[in-house]
Amino acid sequence: MKIIVLAPEDDNHTAPIKWGLEKAGYKVVCWEGLGWSGERQASLSVANGNSLTLGPHSVDPGDAVWIRRPEPPLPNPKTAEPDKKFAGLEYRSLYHSVAYMLEHLPVWCINKYSAARTIIQKSVQLHLARQCGLKIPATLMSNSPESVREFFARGGRTICKGFTPHVWQKEGQRSVAITETFELTSQELPADEVLTYAPAIYQELVPKEFDVRMVLLGNRIYSYALTNTEKALDWRQDAGLGHVKAEIIATPPEVEQGVLAFARKSGICTGSLDFGVDAQGQWWFLEVNEQGQFLWLDQFNRECKLMEKFCAFITASEGSTEPLEAREDLFPSLAEYEELLKNEQVPPVNKPRQEMDPFLSMEA
Amino acid sequence: MDQDNRVLGRKGARELSEQEVEAVTGALKVRHTLTPCFVDRKQQLVNGDQAIGECGG
Repeated sequence: MKIIVLAPEDDNHTAPIKWGLEKAGYKVVCWEGLGWSGERQASLSVANGNSLTLGPHSVDPGDAVWIRRPEPPLPNPKTAEPDKKFAGLEYRSLYHSVAYMLEHLPVWCINKYSAARTIIQKSVQLHLARQCGLKIPATLMSNSPESVREFFARGGRTICKGFTPHVWQKEGQRSVAITETFELTSQELPADEVLTYAPAIYQELVPKEFDVRMVLLGNRIYSYALTNTEKALDWRQDAGLGHVKAEIIATPPEVEQGVLAFARKSGICTGSLDFGVDAQGQWWFLEVNEQGQFLWLDQFNRECKLMEKFCAFITASEGSTEPLEAREDLFPSLAEYEELLKNEQVPPVNKPRQEMDPFLSMEA
Repeated sequence: MDQDNRVLGRKGARELSEQEVEAVTGALKVRHTLTPCFVDRKQQLVNGDQAIGECGG
């Protein structure tokens, strides 16, 4: 049994977890994603039995495949200019053939690609969460000015947020603007035309006392209360600025039941979920990111031990009901890895890359 | 630049000063922090060709 990680080796979760698993004696290999170079090539044979190779690695029965964050398909830059569009689409198709096929092979996919693709959609997340008994805020996703104004006409406070994150940087400057959840009133709504420039998510404001980041690992759920001294609607940038504290918190039984039902219905076995908790103690589901970041919680609170728990999770068998705590001591902590990183005894993480950043725009 | 033709997401975006950007990237250098969103935007790519976000709220 080996663990195959679909991500660059220097991905900031792949690198420490690969190191931790190897230290405990497990075999781990990485495949960065489909590309033209040898280590990124893929072959899928469905002639006599199925076989799949990802770069130099064969995918074998019993393997665990962690579809972490593979790079986008990368065609050969020497491809003739008139052929580039075709080649790009062909690369994309092969990647999809590989990714969707994985869940039909005798391996454990973390997560299944089909489930990941579906649950990425914020509409589906909210729909399934509500079906599973979780409380969700009223939400409109739209580019129709008429629908947006109608949503605001219902009364109550409203927030606006994007489907994806984005950063704008001014030419020649280091200051940036980053998308963030913000409150919007009907008086602040711009001209109808502007509402058609980019669709957005409009949502009933949850009067949060605090936020919760929850990590799902199989049938185990770990919740962390995030208290933000800045009291901002969106805690993420404040976390980077050191204004957020993470405390281990018990998950209410009805929320735990709802989340496990949500996992079964959506087909995901791992993910990072966000909740807002109001003054009455009600947990409001906001969203899930099936490959969301979770190791930062270990940095904010060393008691979380999410690195150890994730290692225990990925080396257990699919559907295992054994508590992760029973095996977490087999694995080293993130703090140990960080010490090595600081002393340059392990390779650096997140090396800069040359390709265009899809989440960054320059502005005058 | 004409600010009237900007998308709503840009109008509501959070401005981070040079010092704040420094604070976050400085933390990155020192702690190799695994920030949930900001400088890690490159890592927001998932599954080959689909982008995801963690910027909810």
